[in-house]
Parts: sequence; structure tokens; C-alpha cells
Amino acid sequence: MPSTLEKIRVLGENSKYDICASTASSRTDKYPKLFGDTNSWIGNTASAGICHSYTPDGRCMSLFKTLYTNKCIYNCKYCFTHSCKRKMSFTPEEYARTFMKLYSMNVVEGVFISSAVCGSADKTTEEMLEAIRLLRFKYNFQGYVHFKCLPGVSQYLLKEAISLSDRISINTEASSKDYLAEIADQKDFNNDIITRQRWLKQIRLKHNDEALKVMKDFKQDNTLEYQGKMIKERREDGYKKFRWDGAPILNSGQTTQFVVGAAESESDYDLLKRIDWGYREIDLRRAYFSSFIPIEGTPLAGKQAASLAREHRLYQTDWLLRIYHYKLKDLEEIFNEEGNLPKGDPKMHLASEYFKDRNLVDPNQASYRELLLVPGIGPISAKRIINLRAKKFVFKRRQDLKSVGVVLKRAEPYLLINGHNQTTLNKYFDIISDNVSQREIV
Amino acid sequence: MRKLIEEKDPMEVVGCARGHSCEELIHNLPRHCKFYPALIQHINKIPEVILRNSGTPIAKKVNRMMREISKESYRAMQFTRTEINNRGVLFGIVSLKHKVMDRVLNYFHKRWPECIICLYNEHTHKTSTIDEKGIIHKIDSPLKTVVEKASKNRPLIPYFDDIQFSGKEIFETLYSSQFISERENQKYFKKMIPEKCYELPGMRSGIEKRFRNKKINDYF
Repeated sequence: MPSTLEKIRVLGENSKYDICASTASSRTDKYPKLFGDTNSWIGNTASAGICHSYTPDGRCMSLFKTLYTNKCIYNCKYCFTHSCKRKMSFTPEEYARTFMKLYSMNVVEGVFISSAVCGSADKTTEEMLEAIRLLRFKYNFQGYVHFKCLPGVSQYLLKEAISLSDRISINTEASSKDYLAEIADQKDFNNDIITRQRWLKQIRLKHNDEALKVMKDFKQDNTLEYQGKMIKERREDGYKKFRWDGAPILNSGQTTQFVVGAAESESDYDLLKRIDWGYREIDLRRAYFSSFIPIEGTPLAGKQAASLAREHRLYQTDWLLRIYHYKLKDLEEIFNEEGNLPKGDPKMHLASEYFKDRNLVDPNQASYRELLLVPGIGPISAKRIINLRAKKFVFKRRQDLKSVGVVLKRAEPYLLINGHNQTTLNKYFDIISDNVSQREIV
Repeated sequence: MRKLIEEKDPMEVVGCARGHSCEELIHNLPRHCKFYPALIQHINKIPEVILRNSGTPIAKKVNRMMREISKESYRAMQFTRTEINNRGVLFGIVSLKHKVMDRVLNYFHKRWPECIICLYNEHTHKTSTIDEKGIIHKIDSPLKTVVEKASKNRPLIPYFDDIQFSGKEIFETLYSSQFISERENQKYFKKMIPEKCYELPGMRSGIEKRFRNKKINDYF
């Protein structure tokens, strides 16, 4: 029987490729908690998250991130558990106790629970949920929980997982059915993953609609007797009808993760297309990318690792989709023939393509969308510019733009400030090459 | 920025202005160890938009002071390592130069509302406590004495008794297991945990330091 320490070592190592960046929770205090506010809860979430440590690759390490078990019925070609000879599982009690100890030491901010599929997805999820239930109801833990759903899990378990956690995710791993078949042939892309992602959205929306109706009654008939009855009913039904802490709204957004470069010929465009679909169709909060790293003992051990620069470029482009609300078709012109992103900042490439045959941007006249196209101007500085213009402010100097947060180093080549534009060295070379070619023609 | 100065505060329309408002400065600057009362008079004479954008040397100075205050309290929240006994008394050591102990205590109080929190400040050699009601006390005794005194009349709490085992080794094992050697990036690592963070009481014997100070042989 392996010790808890041994389990943490092996199962922690097995989960190190799973990514979760933030521990921030978007819980709202807008509605009263129907279980009543009590002091017996332990733990809290910070609005921007707190990192208690960093690993030597610079990543924030704030979650108790281990697999629940590494015994798996799947044999995904890229996966660590495939090659791991030592198979073990936590018990729900052991998992909850260990986490609470770490939380009391102020070294972790929350839980990230993931697992291999032992026996069946439902059986493993039941056990994972038991661990989270213990945390929530035995140890009264109120902090951050990220629940990683297993492919093919039943709807009723998803419902419970969503009401117990702050964030929920299902790993998509690849952008399409064919690419997934290449690296994990036992998983059914549409049924095991996409359908479950759609369910997560439906469960949350349906629940929140119903909860808001109940809250309306709660406010209208504000008698103590009625509220007391309702709180009693709620307690008896438990968190299954509402969120675990009695809050009516489920706020757990879903995320997903892709393995970049494991499937042959899967391009950046394929991945971004899937993410774009996620933002539109399943209320995806964000996507994570994990560069493929060959692991000894797996069928893909001989394959070349994907570059970290590719992962970085995907994150940059995802930012343009998620924060800037660009459409994927706006970005199409920067992809190369294989559908991959070129080296360097995608926004810089986009700007150089866009402004090739268009006029430069005058911050005193440009629309919000045009301002956003300029590198060095983000949504916040673009909004500030628009708001200042509404107050009849005229941008005449570089400093005026700097004071609203514009990064002039990147923005200047694309801006007309007081009728002038800063010429770049590239432009200078273009003029020289034009002159040379004209001379050659002469 | 002439036009900006003339207007009251055009940034506030965005709801996301840079810097701090006058009220925030007046409220928080006295926390700084180098604060002097005349500073408030200076601030009152300067338009808010200049203060927000570090427009003058004095504005730069107050913004730096504010940054130092918030950085110190955030670092304390991040890197203070605590212990809890079976009577529900959470205790640890901090090193705070500025007057941000209340912020740190409140951070722990929100997490452990039923516990008494005791934090010993190495800088002032004083122990501060916050009770279940959120009332802060400053005591001139060493941490051990304060913890013993606070635990005296409290009952044994089963779920705190349940987690009375050494957790240091558990964290070290978890930390080591999360490291992906192929992605090692010492430069980024050093940026995220700068050298001075290792001087904080919770980080002095932390495992992070062992990964930072690599021997030349480790690279081969």
C-alpha cells in the first residue's frame, strides 16, 4: 500500500501537464445565500487569485493538482499514465485531509481534481465527487475548486460536479474527430467530449433560469416564515438544487485544454477554429494549450516535441479572439499555407497586413474597432480614447496617448498624431528598395 | 497634458483609471514607514490627474510608496507559511516594514473565520492577533506564548485535530512533482519569485530556493 507521500509524488507527476492558470472565482454576492451566511465556512477566493508558489518554469503553483487515480482504461498515445508502471489511487478521505493540511499552511489556494478513468468514467467521477463533498461539507471548505470532468461521464454527475465547483473543464485534446483518433483512438470525439461540453452549458443555463425565478418569489414574499421554510427545504434537498453553499447562481464556467503538436498535421488554424466554436456555442471561458512533450514509454516517444513558441503564439491569438472579440475570419490572412501562425506577435502581423493598403489611424477620428487594430492599443486604452473624445479632448501629442495607456513603441508606426506619422526603419528600407528598382528600370 | 489638467478627471469616465484617487492616497499612505504628515498637504495641492499619471516628482514618489505598501501586503499573503493547532489557532511569522498587518490579518480571517489568527512581526518584534469577531490586538509577547494563551480556553475542534500532521514534506513532494524539466525557465522563475522574497520568513527554508540555486553540474 503506497503512502500518501508516494501518491502525491506519482499522481502529482502524472497531472503536471494539466494546466490551470487562475484561481480567481467570479462568485457573486448579488443574491442571498439560501443556507444563510455562516461563519463556519473555511476558505475564501480572491477576486484576482493568489499565487503561493511558482515552479522553476515560472508557472504559478497554487492548486493541489494531482490525479485522483492513474489507473486508466484508455491508452492515449501521448499520455503520461500510459507509461507509468506504478498504479495507485487516493481515497476520498485521504485526498480531502491532505488538501486541508496544505491549505492550513497557506501554500495552496484551491483544488484541481483530475483523474484517469478507472473502470468507468461514472465510477471514477463518483469517487472524485465524494472527495469534493467531504471538502465542502465535512471540512466546510469554501475556496476554489476546479473539477476536471472525464470523457463520457453521465449527465447527473456533471450536474453535481458543476454545483460543487468554481470551474469545470473537459479536455478536448484535439481539434477534430480525426485528429483525436490519431492520438486517442478509444475516445469518441463527438459523444464523449463535445456532447458533454454542450451539456455543461445547458445545465448551467437551465439551472440559473430556474434559480432566478425562485429568487424572484423569495424577494416578493419576504415573510420570515416563508424564507425559513425555503431554507429548510433547501437544506434537505442539499446543494443538488442550487449551489453547494446555497447561492442560487452557478458560476462555474467551463474551460478546455488542447495538446499542441501531438497529432500530425494539426494546424494552428484547426485549433483556433475549435476554440472560436467553443466561445460561440458552449460558453467557453478560455482554452489552455499544452505543447506536446514526448514521454518515454509512450507510443509517441520518438516524435519531436512541439515548440513552446507555438504554444505562446496560440495564446496570443486566443487573446485576440477572447478579449478583443476578433472574428476568426479577420485573422485568416496571417496564417501561412499550412494553416500555422507566423513567428512573432499575431497582432503585429495583422496590423502590417491591414495597413498595407489603408490609411493610418487618427486617434481623434478612428472608431473603436479601428483603434483596436493598432498594436499597443488594447480594449481599455481604446475605450479611454473614445471616452476622452466624447469629452471634446483632442489628442495632439504622443504623451496624451501615453497617459491613457497606449504603448507608443508599438503603436506609433500605425498612428497619425497631429497629422504626423513616425516612419519606421522598414519603411525607410522600402523607399530605398523602390528607388533602386526604379533606377534599374531606367 | 494641459487640457487634461483643466478637466476634473476625464479618466474616471472609463471606470478604469490609472493610479490611485486622492482619497485612496490619504487613506493608505500613512501605512508607509517613511510617511510624514506634510505629504498629505502636498497631495491635496496637486490635481488628481497628475497624481494618477505620475506627472510630477512628488506624484511619482507617492505612487512608488503606494506600490511598496500593496506589494508588501500581497507578498505577505502569498508567502506567509502558517500552522494550525487542534484548538483552531492559526499562527505564523511575517516580516512587515509598513503598517499592513491589518490587511494580512484580515486576509487570514476571511479564510479561517472561526479561528484566532496570531502573526508575529519580525520587524517590530510584536505579535498581532485577530479573533473570531475580527477584532485586532497587538501584544508584546513572543508568538509561542500568545498561541498558548489563545488556545487555553478553546475546545478541541475535530476537523482541525484531523489535520495535525506534518505538511512540509507533503508540499515539497507536491512542488517537486509539478516541475516539467523540458519547460525550465530560470529567468521567468526568478522574475516571479525575486531574490528578496526568499528573505521572507515563510520562504527562507522553502523548497523553491533549492530549485533556484542550481549548481553548475546540474546543467550537464
